[in-house]
Amino acid sequence: MAGAWIRGKAASLEAATAQAAKLLRASRLPLIAGLGADVAGARAAVALAQKIGAVLDHMHSAALMRDLDVMRESGMMMTTPNEARLRADLLLLVGPGLVETWPEIATRLLESPGAKAKRRIVWLCPGQSGGELAARWKMDVVGEDPADLPIMLAILRARCAGHPVGSTAPHLQKIDTLASELPQARFGVAVWSAAQHDALTIEMLCGLVKDLNATTRFSSLPLAPADNAAAVQQVSGWMTGFPVRTGFARGYPEHDPWRFDAVRLVESGEADCALWISAYSPVAPPWKREVPIVALADGLDCFEQPPAVAISVGRPGSDHDSVEYLAATGTLASVAGRARTNAISVADAINGIGAALPTSSPC
Amino acid sequence: MLTRLAGGHVIDPANGRDGIGDVWFCDGRIVVPPANGRADETYDATGMIVMAGAIDIHSHIAGSNENLGRLLLPEQRYAAFSHAGHAPISAGAWNTLETGWLYAAMGFTTVVEPAVLPHHALQAHLELADIPIIDKAALTVLGNDDFLLDLLRRREGGDAVRDYLAWTLATSRGLGIKAVNPGGAAAFKDNIRAFSLDDEVPEYGVSSRAIFKALQHAVQELHLPHPLHLHCNNLGLPGNVETALATIQAAEGLPLHLAHLQFYSYGKEGPRGFSSAASKLAEAVNAAANLTVDVGQVMFGQTVTISADVLRQFNARSGARPRKWIILDGDSNGAGIVPYAYRPNDFYNAVQWAAGLELFLLINDPWRVFFTTDHPNGAPFTAYPDILALLMDRDLRAQWMAKLPKEAMEVTTLPSIAREYTLNEVAIMTRTAPARLLGLKDRGHLGAGAIADIAAYAPVKDKAAMFRKAALVFKTGELVVRNGNVFSQPFGRALNVLPARERAIERRICDYYEDRYGLSADFMNVRDIAIGRPDPFETVPCLS
Repeated sequence: MAGAWIRGKAASLEAATAQAAKLLRASRLPLIAGLGADVAGARAAVALAQKIGAVLDHMHSAALMRDLDVMRESGMMMTTPNEARLRADLLLLVGPGLVETWPEIATRLLESPGAKAKRRIVWLCPGQSGGELAARWKMDVVGEDPADLPIMLAILRARCAGHPVGSTAPHLQKIDTLASELPQARFGVAVWSAAQHDALTIEMLCGLVKDLNATTRFSSLPLAPADNAAAVQQVSGWMTGFPVRTGFARGYPEHDPWRFDAVRLVESGEADCALWISAYSPVAPPWKREVPIVALADGLDCFEQPPAVAISVGRPGSDHDSVEYLAATGTLASVAGRARTNAISVADAINGIGAALPTSSPC
Repeated sequence: MLTRLAGGHVIDPANGRDGIGDVWFCDGRIVVPPANGRADETYDATGMIVMAGAIDIHSHIAGSNENLGRLLLPEQRYAAFSHAGHAPISAGAWNTLETGWLYAAMGFTTVVEPAVLPHHALQAHLELADIPIIDKAALTVLGNDDFLLDLLRRREGGDAVRDYLAWTLATSRGLGIKAVNPGGAAAFKDNIRAFSLDDEVPEYGVSSRAIFKALQHAVQELHLPHPLHLHCNNLGLPGNVETALATIQAAEGLPLHLAHLQFYSYGKEGPRGFSSAASKLAEAVNAAANLTVDVGQVMFGQTVTISADVLRQFNARSGARPRKWIILDGDSNGAGIVPYAYRPNDFYNAVQWAAGLELFLLINDPWRVFFTTDHPNGAPFTAYPDILALLMDRDLRAQWMAKLPKEAMEVTTLPSIAREYTLNEVAIMTRTAPARLLGLKDRGHLGAGAIADIAAYAPVKDKAAMFRKAALVFKTGELVVRNGNVFSQPFGRALNVLPARERAIERRICDYYEDRYGLSADFMNVRDIAIGRPDPFETVPCLS
């Protein structure tokens, strides 16, 4: 559905753009959130944030931040989807949500016609969709309740290190077997989706991977959240020096995962206007408090109240060519529009708003 | 618009200028002075030193590995704010915007990112495109990729290797080819923990020497201006000077560039079994006219080491300060990111610092030794002005040495070296020679027809201060820096080469990607349109 709206009423793109610029200019602390955009859209969003002193956050920051927390607290050993597919002789799938996060996991990771070694695949607490896949692939499953995962991983790590554990530990026998197998792998890979775990669980798993490298090779493949989150994180990294949850209110980038959490900023009343971007899926902001919203989204149906301004944008890689994170390669790559239309891109919509603002910077 | 930069001390070694004079430029190019002597605008450079814009041949400023470093170390940015002046990862140099500003402020106008992995080339070029003011280039990394190793395992002739390099350069938009511990990253995936020149990659039966020789020959046959850019085996290990000397021998007189040589200039002498062997290495470099090197100077302070030498970085992980690190097993090379603090009271770090300066001062041809810190591995590039000052002033070196561990200075020859770089030698090392090394005929000099990339410095007693903040910098004729402050922010381009190749290789590579990865090889392709800026690339001709 192409078009632009001001308070739910159809408007010209020019009028909607001007109104969006007016709202953002009047704001004391604008927020640029959602950030479901291709690389061009993300670059435009960071440039706009810099110009108007806004805060940047992605709709899947919670999951992004959990993996990042572990990485920047203690480091991480990782590999690529290709290496996991071709080289791994042992895949350790951890927890539920893998199929939801990576729908092609069966064809891209599990099926591996070119794989060097006969592979063993073990799934810890796969959850429902994972359980179905595990049954189809006749994988070994250890544990059911994902709530057991933190303790199971702790036991596994302890057993791999040769430490004793209490005999009441869940699934001890199977974990003991696994603990004897992991060091025998030539190149093992642990796979998880951060949407389903807390940071300490991920840290335990990453610690296990590091321990195993004392004698053999083991690595990991954290799966990236949807809505191009991994690419937006990269763009934020190179343009600001920081991941998302970065603000420009002082004229230079500052990063703070708590302070610049979009939902917190709106609920606390600190942010008084939001540019909400969701070009991959029709998703409304998760906060409850009302603030003027400029929505760059795929239609308005998801909004309970019509946003102050809405501009319907094209879906990257479909309505127009884009650069996106590819789960299959773990890299940024060009994606040709599968069904090109005239729908405006996030980048063009943001650049239009930027051009309608006064040129002087706020500081 | 005809512009005259008037009355400066012009140092332009390529054109034999070293004296008071003018530089004229028009529409972004240097021109011969007009007969009537009339300019549309004039900048007074009286008392200033005028040189072409500087060129950095090896600085890790962009790409997925650098970005992982940014994500790993958010605290570096805050550290930078609390140490204004000589800051670690200094005052940023950490995001793309600041990278461009800080380079331009020092009078640099072209910078080469030396380690772009083909599968990640698009991200590297997107990052380069967001670095303002300067022009950029990427060196494409090969030597741990299955396709190449497989060609060598099959003992295929040089044609396939040559065409594969040409194809990879075209898709990744590289200016040259680099190899990083050839075979080492692939061997590490097979749990090999040490890998030297004649060690073989398991399963392929191909030695590191064979890989580097194949790449060196292919680069030569493709007539690439820049020789193979080699990061040798055994980086950082005591006694590794023997590896460097063996590699120099193995070059067999063909052109070869050895990157960050300081990290290979270690002997095993002295009470701690670690010494500088830089004088021995410099002697070998002096004797081998086919060789160029960059130094990779170490400076004291907090930094982060970012390298595609995964094996080396894994082995260095226990030295991480702060204690966190990333090892990424990539599709070819990967990444190892290990934060590190070089400390002046540390014996080993002091030897490293001295060894780098010894190389600068004992390699007697400024056309063959290049100015790098291997940013950020030896130090952030913002430390360049301090290094220039050290090279130009032996008293300053003596002051520094007096504060370092005495036993460290005893295993180097630095205290005995009196040489001081002249401004003319600085201009050769940082301008003229890098342009020649990269095949950039219209850069690095101030002759008619050159791009009007010009830096003017106001001499002060503190040479580091002089080089840190250029008085005037022009990029393609546009004033971009005044008194060290960025004045305007145009966006430059990325330089690449496009050597001729046989088309047959394309079919073969595409089949390989379909077969091995179940993917179209097209995902590696860096297209102009994806960069999001007008006219993002400039093609540099190959040698005829």
